[in-house]
Amino acid sequence: MDSNQSMRLLSSWIGQIGDLGLNLLWRFIHIVVSLWYIVSGISEAIESYAISLGLNKKYSSIDLEKLRCLAVVVDIEAVQDVAKVVELLQWLTTIGVKQVGLFDSQGLLKKSKDLILETVPGSMLLEEIGKDFSPDGKRIALEFISSSDNKEAVMKAANILLQRYLKSSHPENDQGENFFTESHLNEALGVVGENVHVPDLLLVYGPIRSHLGFPAWRLRYTEIVHMGTLKYMRYGSLLKAIHKFTGVHQNYGT
Amino acid sequence: MLYLFSVVFTFLALFLIPGLFISRRLRVPLSLTNILRFIKITASKYDDEEERNDKRDAMGEKEKRASNRKMPKHVAVILDGNRRWAEKRGLGTSEGHEAGARRLLENAKDCFAMGTNTISLFAFSTENWERPEDEVKCLMALFEKHFRAEMPFFQRDKIKILVIGNRAKIPESLRGLIEEVEEATKSYEGKNLIIAIDYSGRFDILQACKSLATKVKDGLIQVEDINEEAMEKELLTKCSEFPNPDLLIRTSGEQRISNFFLWQSAYTELYFPTVLWPDFGEAEYLEALTWYQQRQRRFGRRV
Repeated sequence: MDSNQSMRLLSSWIGQIGDLGLNLLWRFIHIVVSLWYIVSGISEAIESYAISLGLNKKYSSIDLEKLRCLAVVVDIEAVQDVAKVVELLQWLTTIGVKQVGLFDSQGLLKKSKDLILETVPGSMLLEEIGKDFSPDGKRIALEFISSSDNKEAVMKAANILLQRYLKSSHPENDQGENFFTESHLNEALGVVGENVHVPDLLLVYGPIRSHLGFPAWRLRYTEIVHMGTLKYMRYGSLLKAIHKFTGVHQNYGT
Repeated sequence: MLYLFSVVFTFLALFLIPGLFISRRLRVPLSLTNILRFIKITASKYDDEEERNDKRDAMGEKEKRASNRKMPKHVAVILDGNRRWAEKRGLGTSEGHEAGARRLLENAKDCFAMGTNTISLFAFSTENWERPEDEVKCLMALFEKHFRAEMPFFQRDKIKILVIGNRAKIPESLRGLIEEVEEATKSYEGKNLIIAIDYSGRFDILQACKSLATKVKDGLIQVEDINEEAMEKELLTKCSEFPNPDLLIRTSGEQRISNFFLWQSAYTELYFPTVLWPDFGEAEYLEALTWYQQRQRRFGRRV
């Protein structure tokens, strides 16, 4: 019996040591991957400073014809620092971006709208301009977006379509094919105030690599680029992201 | 003692792990399978420990832990790069798609082995109908071939198969086969393989709206009951216990979600590796998992 107990104890120890070893190996993989990202982060930072100083001629002029609408998603922690948002908008104006949608999930940027419009030279509200917006010089049209423009807006628009469907004289077996189409929903979204300006490029500032609830209906073919935290944003990285976007070729699934 | 172990392993892995990744890149034949199996087992045990800790915690703490769970419960994949993969090798498009299909099943097995509950694969989008007719026919034939061939595997491993999308344009033979596979696997729980064929995120939202409208018309719900929660119950991903993906992987370096899971991906971690889909193997998936585990997910809230 003693030898059996000893064997059981020994195999238990071996099992625990094995588990510990595997656990350490997995944690070590994390270290290696983190180191890899640190090294690539450092080289990106160096490249970005080189771009900011104008050392890389490739970024000296960017053709912005493809970039009609740019959206910026700001993490909830970073959005408190409105000065940084203003600085970012000033950079975008310098680069020549004409239309920017600013998104944060809680709508804090909407509350700071007046301050931002006063502080960013040449800025104006997109909704006050209308569809034929074509600004000259260093002017930039801003749209302030929050989570209420996402699912809530789609629900309101869906309710509008539902009311139309229920009020119409439709045959009993009509499943709503003529009422629930993309163009109908686009129109209903316009009625509830969701302008449906589809961004070509979405820049995400924050530690999280997701779009944080940016209006889903708009995101179909939008390029999504994670830029790091707003606190440590760099002009060179911004220029590089926009330049890279201008070289992207989309086949839209075909 | 722990520090000593970690130092020893650090030195060992300084040579071992880089060798693993370098050898995959250079295609130097090495016996990696066992190494990767060890790593997979460790990663899944890492998650098992988290689940055991969850059970001991109070309810509120459990929910907080669940939101920061280390292993994704739902992984969505946009399988991009088959055609480019074939072009690089001087092969035909159909061979690229065939290689992609083989990789799909291998990766699905790996994901389930790691404890993932739901895997969603964007196999064919609404826009893909615009591709050359031969390519579309090849893809439909490929789906039929693999549904038939993999049926024993689905039944053996008790994987529930769900095909989402607009089935109106799918060939009748494939539609029948899909119904057969779904019927045969509908009772399985714990592992869901969602295959999106003729799917688009906008279509998903619209069909949910239509479904709600029909329910109101039939008196099953009131107009006042229509809200986000009601909407989410009508989306095509309602079939899964975890309808919103934790991690979305799009291969080939393209950085967009291309009309996939628009509603569901609000807080999904987006991972865009540059590797082409047929080359996305175990090592690449482990890298994605490691990356995912380092993220701090807040679901839009302050921490």
